Amino acid sequence: MMAKFDPITLEILWRRLISIVDEADSTVSRTAFSSLLRDAHDYTCMFTDRKGRELAQGTFATPGQSGAMALGIKNLIKKLPDETYRPGDVFITNDPWALAGHLNDVCVISPIFYKKKLAAFAACVFHHSDIGGRVSSDNHEVYEDGLFIPLVKLYERGEPNQAVFEMIRWNVRTPDAVIGDIRSQIAANHVCAEKIGQMLDEYRLEGLDDLTDEIIGRTEKSMRAAIEKIPDGVYKTEGIIEQMEGREDVVIRAAVQVRGSDVVVDLDGSSPHVNWGGNVVYNFTYAYVFMALKSIFDPDIPNNDGCTAPISMRAPEGSVVNCTFPVAVAARMQIGHFLTEIVYRALAEAVPDRVIAASGGTPASMNVFYGKRNDGRPFHSVIIRGGGMGASSANDGYYDYIFPANGANTPVEIFESDTPLIVEKRELLCDSGGPGKMRGGLGRRVVFRVPDDSYAPIPPVSLGIQSGRFRYPPEGLFGGKPGAKARFLINNRKGNSYGLTQLNPGDVVVMDAAGGGGYGDPRDRDPEQVKRDVAEGYVSEKSAAEDYGVYVEPVVEGEEKK
Amino acid sequence: MADKHYRLGCDIGGTFTDFVLLDDRTGELHINKCLTTPRDPSDAVEQGILELQERIPGFVEELDEVIHGTTLVINSIIERKGARTGLITTKGFRDVLELGREIRYAPYDAFAEFPEPLIPRSLRLEVDERVRYDGTVQRPLDFDEVEAVARELIGAGVESIAVCLLNSFENPAHELMIKEAIEELAPGLSVSISYEVLPQIREYERTSTTVTNAYVKPLTGRYLKKLASRLESLGSRGKLFVMLSSGGITSVETAAEFPVRIIESGPTAAVISGQYYGKLFGLPEMFCFDMGGTTAKSCLIQGGVAGVVPTFEVGRVQRFMKGSGLSIQVPVVDLMEIGAGGGSIAKVSRMGTLQVGPESSGADPGPICYQRGGTEPGVTDADLLLGYLDENYFLGGEMTLDKAAAEKGIQEKIAEPLGVTLLQAIWGIHDLINETMAAAAKTHIAEKGGNPKVVTLAAFGGAGPVHAYGLSKKLGAPRLMVPPNAGVGSALGFFTAPRAFDLVRSHKVALAAADFTELENIFLDLEAEGKRTLKKTGAVEEITFERSVDVRFVGQGSETNIEIPEEDLGSARKETIRGRFDRIYQKLYGRTYPDTPVELINFRVRARLPERLLRLQKPARKKGQQKSAVKGRRSAYSGLAGDFIPHTVYDRYKLFAGAKFKGPAIVEERESTVVVGEDATASVDEYGFLWIDLPGGG
Repeated sequence: MMAKFDPITLEILWRRLISIVDEADSTVSRTAFSSLLRDAHDYTCMFTDRKGRELAQGTFATPGQSGAMALGIKNLIKKLPDETYRPGDVFITNDPWALAGHLNDVCVISPIFYKKKLAAFAACVFHHSDIGGRVSSDNHEVYEDGLFIPLVKLYERGEPNQAVFEMIRWNVRTPDAVIGDIRSQIAANHVCAEKIGQMLDEYRLEGLDDLTDEIIGRTEKSMRAAIEKIPDGVYKTEGIIEQMEGREDVVIRAAVQVRGSDVVVDLDGSSPHVNWGGNVVYNFTYAYVFMALKSIFDPDIPNNDGCTAPISMRAPEGSVVNCTFPVAVAARMQIGHFLTEIVYRALAEAVPDRVIAASGGTPASMNVFYGKRNDGRPFHSVIIRGGGMGASSANDGYYDYIFPANGANTPVEIFESDTPLIVEKRELLCDSGGPGKMRGGLGRRVVFRVPDDSYAPIPPVSLGIQSGRFRYPPEGLFGGKPGAKARFLINNRKGNSYGLTQLNPGDVVVMDAAGGGGYGDPRDRDPEQVKRDVAEGYVSEKSAAEDYGVYVEPVVEGEEKK
Repeated sequence: MADKHYRLGCDIGGTFTDFVLLDDRTGELHINKCLTTPRDPSDAVEQGILELQERIPGFVEELDEVIHGTTLVINSIIERKGARTGLITTKGFRDVLELGREIRYAPYDAFAEFPEPLIPRSLRLEVDERVRYDGTVQRPLDFDEVEAVARELIGAGVESIAVCLLNSFENPAHELMIKEAIEELAPGLSVSISYEVLPQIREYERTSTTVTNAYVKPLTGRYLKKLASRLESLGSRGKLFVMLSSGGITSVETAAEFPVRIIESGPTAAVISGQYYGKLFGLPEMFCFDMGGTTAKSCLIQGGVAGVVPTFEVGRVQRFMKGSGLSIQVPVVDLMEIGAGGGSIAKVSRMGTLQVGPESSGADPGPICYQRGGTEPGVTDADLLLGYLDENYFLGGEMTLDKAAAEKGIQEKIAEPLGVTLLQAIWGIHDLINETMAAAAKTHIAEKGGNPKVVTLAAFGGAGPVHAYGLSKKLGAPRLMVPPNAGVGSALGFFTAPRAFDLVRSHKVALAAADFTELENIFLDLEAEGKRTLKKTGAVEEITFERSVDVRFVGQGSETNIEIPEEDLGSARKETIRGRFDRIYQKLYGRTYPDTPVELINFRVRARLPERLLRLQKPARKKGQQKSAVKGRRSAYSGLAGDFIPHTVYDRYKLFAGAKFKGPAIVEERESTVVVGEDATASVDEYGFLWIDLPGGG
């Protein structure tokens, strides 16, 4: 192919594209309503060329959404003839199979026209706190998960489709926030469209086709060069993901085949559907397989269609990693997030310095609290959390993060003003990091209390949970030991993390996030590091002695600490 | 008092300490520069003053004010040289500081590093108390426990204590009691409580800010005390002020109490001088652009006022990566800093494209042409080869630049691997760094609701005037201004800075349910506190207050600041406040939703003293031939022509007021060089400012 852009102009235009998406991204954080978007940044903006090939995404993208969007938008656009789109159209859908795997992830797509011709698409997926339905991970069918919006026009030639807005409004619990956040999505796409037009004007380009070829081509080349460095072969592993007690565990089999600059991940032999919401659609499975390979091979280059080109995936239809309509999918992250660590484990021997041990933030934990305050006003708050990250050959595991997904916590003071609940604790858990030459990141305890004084809400308070690691801890690598398991206690008794829990005034809920796995033999850890960990309360004297073989003199009360 | 007619501005930077002395009788300015003395920065201050005194004997006794900016605070955080500090917090929350907001700033990088907290876990202790979200006390404070905890920290050898309790912004009683208890136990020990440092919702940000304040408080206090006594022993009877990051100046006492407020004290002066120019020349929108060796800092000034943002990040572990530093919430002038400077390194990316910055070779070794051992081609190398810089007149000829070496470096490291001509490579480097700055500038301007097509660009710094023309073209800005002598230009800010202090308090209430009479009390409290703070400067003038409130749609996560000009909120109508919010929201985000209810979140007051005026000196208008300013002609690259064309070279020091000339031209002065493209027209005004008009802006 003849290069239509010299390498310098190309870099300039490429940077411009990314800065345009970042501008759209920052519009969201200023206009969104729910704290899940504004405080926790659970959304992704991107745009594609007119064929739906991803060109650029926001720097703070969430890997699950962006990876799934990259596939999903391309497929959607392939199916619709060009005549479908008119200037001023805005599409909306939350079809889990078409996009990001559960109904809460709502995608808004806006075609971008330049000189009356279709030039590109701006798209964004927001994780909406509320999409109606039964908020629980133990649904059987997607109908229970909430409102299903097929691909429809939300705006037609600039005119709002009021029927769709009304349909949404009457099917969710917090219509003002949901509609407000959808408006924020439209605004983000609008920013993208405006700026692309300006860029094309400025550089006198007729469209984005040549630029897309160039950017995607170069990205693919870089990704392939990185893949070529590792020896050819088939790297196999198996991951076991816990299920509710009494049910059979989910098994994911992965064979990662590296041949030249191509990677094929075959998930043949993985478990079939589960009869709760943990089922993962193909796109979302791919997103976290891709996350693993991107972070191993080429984490720095900007994401676009070229990054995914060398990576293909096979997943048996009807399996838990390629589920079919209409199974329940609301809790798909409880299984989907594991794909990254499974691929890491498969490739650990081949690239020991490019992988980390299993993380307590896999899967992410999500809590939905809703009910009524004592004066009858409703409240509804969704919060997300990670755990200790796995250690690597270079570093101890960091804490506490959602990994491989991403997102921020909601400040306690914001949560307490949004709900009648009290947060009594948010602290690191001693000894929860998996021992190793490099120690796993510590898990974190959060304690909630439903007040029983004059602030008591009208019972019950509903609590929906998505989480994991209650039975199997995050494993270590190369002799590193596992991190501590997660726990969910109500009034000191084990709670059911799969159903919807009803809480009453006076109830105390404990959520312990799992710690990250260690890396390397703990006996090889620098004893000074162990002593420091004991002094800071990250590791107990007992664990120092038993796991690390380091004996630390207990500090005598009153003696000066140095 | 009549004999006290000098004002001295003094800016301690990483490399140099700059001095500007202003004679208020004449508007005359004197400058001096000496090397910064990191071990004791007041050494350099004394040295610089003594040098100035040789030129202007006796001025020290006639000093009215000394205004000071320093990077001391920020450097002691970056280098982790602050005090051994302890934290007292609510039971269950000692790890808030370490857990932060739990977001990974580089989503695809499993190895991205995070900053260590300033206080280790063993020095973060808890007290069993609790205030609810609405300020009511759920569990009262136990004095015995407070005493035990304070004793433990003191026993552990802390020099400073931070106190941050949950929801204390709604009710500070417990924090105040702890402060009192510590003061009784250990008089003189440095204490910082969150209610005084940052009474604002979001516990991590408030804790981090309070802790940072505590961490730098002892050393800032010692330093300022020393500086004051040194000035006194030199014979100064003038008042000492310190520049705030928000752009105001404050007393030494306040700066020592809230050192976290002076964190960006240094770079702020340039912005303040920009504000002054904006007002002086009546520019509605102005974009200040200061490009040095490593970074470019810029700021939008609207109606002569720079924006102030509530957040700042310090000590990023990955340079320029948002989210990789410690978060501090203090009012800071809205400076945008990016890794683009004269020393920015050009290289070929793995993608086979050109990349310039953010890595920089700085001033030492610097780019190849400096001949100080630098081997990486940089922006200055390209500027030299494009003909913009004169190899024999860099820093007024103090330094000779090596053109051949620069050419060889770019040829071998950029042109050949990319398969482009040398010319494409050198122009590419210049153009790409301009593009990087333009992209960042456009986002910054858009976020402030400004329009790049109407801004006047004001260029500062060594590399600023070289790149200002190219940047203006990319922004579509119609006009460009270069003040005389970029160095003095920015330090002028010390004399024009408002003597002001910003205060904030969080209190969430729906507009519909708000009791304005009650809210008026919040403003009155803040104003009383502002008054106390300003009185510490020894001010006798009248204090004015600017009120504002952060408003958002109910449930929205982010707020929009609106002004409250009413003197008594109690008499204001809710519809008025609502209308004001809708107008601003519409301007920022395209549309507003008047039917959706709004709530009030933060109440802000800026307390200020009247501005002191500065009379800029007008250089004598010399009659003469403009021709005498022409130094000659040289071939330099024109982006429009796509080739080298002859440029007329002017000597800035010989350009008189009223001079007017067309591009292509190059204007040289000691510290910098101004490029004027062939489509632009330049003129010199009565103050010696160079104005460049570009066609087709807008």
